[in-house]
Amino acid sequence: MISRLRALWNNVFRRKQLDRNLDEELQAYLELVLAEKVRAGADPEDAHRDARHHRGGIDQVVQSVRDVRAGVFLDRLVQDVRYGVRTLAKDPAFSLVAIATLALGIGANTAMFSMLDQVVLRLLPVSDPERLVIVRETGNHYGNSYGPNTISWPMFEDLRDNNQVFSGMFCRFPTSVAIGLSDHAVQIPAELVSNSYFQTLGVKALFGRLIGQEDDSVPDSKPVVVLSYSFWRSYLNGDHNVVGRTISLNGYAMTVIGVAQPNFDGVELGSPASVFVPIMMKTEMTPHSDGLKDRRRRLSWVTAYGRLKPGISTEQAQLSLQPLLHSILKMEVEQPEFTRSATAADGQLFLRNRVELLPGSDSGLREEMRRPLLLLLALTGAVLLLACANLANLLLARAAAREREFAVRLAIGAGRARIIRQLLVESLLLSGAGAVVGLALAFLAARVLLRIYLPADAVAEFVISPIPDGRVLAFVVGAMLLTSLVFGLVPAVRGSQTEITLSLKDRSGTLSGGGISLRRMLVGIQVSLSLLLLVGAGLFVRTLRNLENLGPGFPTDHLLTFTTTPTLNGYSYAETKSYYQRLTVDLETMPGITSVGLSTMPILRGFAWQNAILGKDFEGTPIEQQPVLSQVDPNYFATLGIPVIAGRGFTAKDVAPADYAIVNETFAKEYFPGRNPIGQHFGLVDDMRAVIPNTEVIGVIPDRKYRGLRETPPPQAYFPSTEISNIRGMTVYVHTQGDPRQFEDALRDRMRQFDPHVPVVDLQTVNEQIGFSLRTERLVASLSGVFGGLATLLAVIGLYGVMAYVVQRRTLEIGIRIALGATRSNVIAMVMREVFFLIGAGLAVGMALALVLADLIRNQLYGLSARDPFTFVSSAIVLTLAAGLAGFIPALHASGVDPTTALRQE
Amino acid sequence: MPSRQTDLLQGTLDLLILKALAIQELHGMGVSRRIAQITEGAFDVKAGSLFPALHRMEQAGWLTSFWGESETNRRAKFYSLTKAGKKQLHAESERWERISLAMATALRTA
Repeated sequence: MISRLRALWNNVFRRKQLDRNLDEELQAYLELVLAEKVRAGADPEDAHRDARHHRGGIDQVVQSVRDVRAGVFLDRLVQDVRYGVRTLAKDPAFSLVAIATLALGIGANTAMFSMLDQVVLRLLPVSDPERLVIVRETGNHYGNSYGPNTISWPMFEDLRDNNQVFSGMFCRFPTSVAIGLSDHAVQIPAELVSNSYFQTLGVKALFGRLIGQEDDSVPDSKPVVVLSYSFWRSYLNGDHNVVGRTISLNGYAMTVIGVAQPNFDGVELGSPASVFVPIMMKTEMTPHSDGLKDRRRRLSWVTAYGRLKPGISTEQAQLSLQPLLHSILKMEVEQPEFTRSATAADGQLFLRNRVELLPGSDSGLREEMRRPLLLLLALTGAVLLLACANLANLLLARAAAREREFAVRLAIGAGRARIIRQLLVESLLLSGAGAVVGLALAFLAARVLLRIYLPADAVAEFVISPIPDGRVLAFVVGAMLLTSLVFGLVPAVRGSQTEITLSLKDRSGTLSGGGISLRRMLVGIQVSLSLLLLVGAGLFVRTLRNLENLGPGFPTDHLLTFTTTPTLNGYSYAETKSYYQRLTVDLETMPGITSVGLSTMPILRGFAWQNAILGKDFEGTPIEQQPVLSQVDPNYFATLGIPVIAGRGFTAKDVAPADYAIVNETFAKEYFPGRNPIGQHFGLVDDMRAVIPNTEVIGVIPDRKYRGLRETPPPQAYFPSTEISNIRGMTVYVHTQGDPRQFEDALRDRMRQFDPHVPVVDLQTVNEQIGFSLRTERLVASLSGVFGGLATLLAVIGLYGVMAYVVQRRTLEIGIRIALGATRSNVIAMVMREVFFLIGAGLAVGMALALVLADLIRNQLYGLSARDPFTFVSSAIVLTLAAGLAGFIPALHASGVDPTTALRQE
Repeated sequence: MPSRQTDLLQGTLDLLILKALAIQELHGMGVSRRIAQITEGAFDVKAGSLFPALHRMEQAGWLTSFWGESETNRRAKFYSLTKAGKKQLHAESERWERISLAMATALRTA
């Protein structure tokens, strides 16, 4: 066996070595022939000539030896495959069940793997993506920040011009811009990029040219735009004459200079960019906000990327950049904009900030999905293991039934290895067919599941390609080989151990064990695994239920929301203000709409406007205690059904220079403990000027959530939007009569009529919005539910199969018992004892495993313990009931055994 | 010697090789020499049929090989019987005896 395997290995993988060996072998042969001839008295000269003559024949020998080697291998393979197909075709029911089981197992794994691959594992489609890093500063920012990975524009310039470790650096800023179409405008995602963006990434133009050195000298000077491939295809119909044309972005005429290579749509997975604009056009692309020209060091907004020089590791680069960052920070703490808003202690803390390099392919979506997808892959792995156990069980039964066949083959001279190989080929045939069907299922499943469980716009985020790529195919082949080994090897080895003499006698079936203890063990494993999966499913479903029941702290059933940003269309602040005044009036006259509220910050979307505040009794607030803020119109709280529980709400009369705020209960408790909050004052810390706390609290609202469902309501303060003169855009909340979904289309039409040049973004019901924010939890809960059900089904089938087999083998014994006076219920009890023993053993192991593994998923749960007793107990009960029922059928059969027939059969 | 050479019947070569190796391990030349010896020169197995057969039988698991030193002090590949090979030799010998007996009987009665 070992030597055979070695020969096979040599044949397939070590051809060269083999040929060298053969050469040497034949050379030795020739020499021996020669020596013999000389010894026999031939003239050495003649003998040599003879030998040379022979050598011509040697090539032929080499060739025929090679043919033999390849031939034997292929012949047997073809033989085995043909025999295997014939055997499987003889038992179509078995083959179909086996292939279907495997297809489900492999399909589920493939679907999960391709999602994991495309969302988490795959790097950016740029050259050498592994050498690309995000350069971020860890620690506190002390100022305004657009996110944890952002730095200021001057900081980027300093790093770019003074580092020793990058062959290139670029930065980017993602934003939304309005593009003017013939009769209306739509909002599209744009990426503002520094001049070295495309060159450093190694991204090429499909045609035209990309943004380069010449586009990045003077602010406002380069109204040019590069289109992403998919945007060019969908919005400009793939028009090749597009270069040189102008398109209107935020009302500015921008010249199209080129189209980027297909498959590249920016550096952030899940947030594709439609157009790329030089960062020098920041003012035009983000009206009324300019971190580029005012060069504020306290405004972090660009994400910086670097390409590591060859031979430099991430750690080396980090070490080399740290002194550079430190010298920049030292200069920054001296500047007035820092000293104005921060204490000396803050400065010391700030100087401890460090450079951190992240993989360039990292993104928020990737971070968010990594654990859930790995978890789901682990669950599908368990399902596949279960499927394998089921198949091993089926194959063991088959092997027992085929003992005669094996005995005959052994008797006529087949080696045991040959039988093992034969059975493995059959397993491979099964798993191969299962893999093919599973591959088809995987792509159907991935699409269907995503469509059912995610809102339509989320599907675009997960680009599940219908065509399996090399990595997915490799995964499938790997899964196939592994499964056929797992479920095929044990039965194959057992099959080959058939005792010739025993098996060839007639009553073979009743004499040998048929691997019954092994099969019992497999069923036990199946029960444990399905308990694991059921417990997991229970925990995730209950987590989702808990999150759904949480609610945001105000009624959402009649709310619709959308956002507009009129300044993107070139509206001045005054025009924007009048736009919202007219809009409110217009929408309030719409039938079915009872109320309209406005806010500068959308709620429950993960966004927050945070700022340090100071008051009479407190000076500044540490970063983590900063309240979240928003500016809202007088109807806002009424529209969202939030009562003002003390003081008063805003009115249209609260206009500048009045300075009022409404705060929530937490805010009041946090900053005015033990006092009546009404009439207290505070002010927002500003790094541009000194602050006087002159904002008066006029009302208090109950706590409600702001960023998302999982948070405990933070301290919140609201200012009247009527006071503010620089509003860029607002989120609109509309209260409807009846189901808000029926107003979606009407509202969209109404907005188009109201002002076709201001695009409406994120129009949906608040419930849909909340549902979307739980999409990951929903995906995990529903898929783990499906897998748990599948696992239980497999375990139940496995248990049924083994018990039916046990009963069949014990027919004689049962017949005798009945003949001796056992009642039907005695027999049923006897069989069920074994059934419950199997289930109990499986449950015990499963419980122990589940208790240990529960820690791994603790972070994915909400509102319940990872060892939630209710989930554990109910899973065990469900499994016991299902499996018990499956065991009851054979028990019933057993109780119906007719003793006379049973005895006569023997 | 060449004049008395007999054509090899299908399957005969395998049996002869198995038989030749039954007593001790041999290299290719040794196998050929031993076969000539035990068949009293009736069969002279040439390289062209000997080596393919040796390799085929090695693949089948009847023979195993190792590198040793020949009489001329040169690295040579030696073959020996495996357990399966011994079994095969046994089975083949029985089969051959049955056939030769049957043939002999058939030829006598004709």
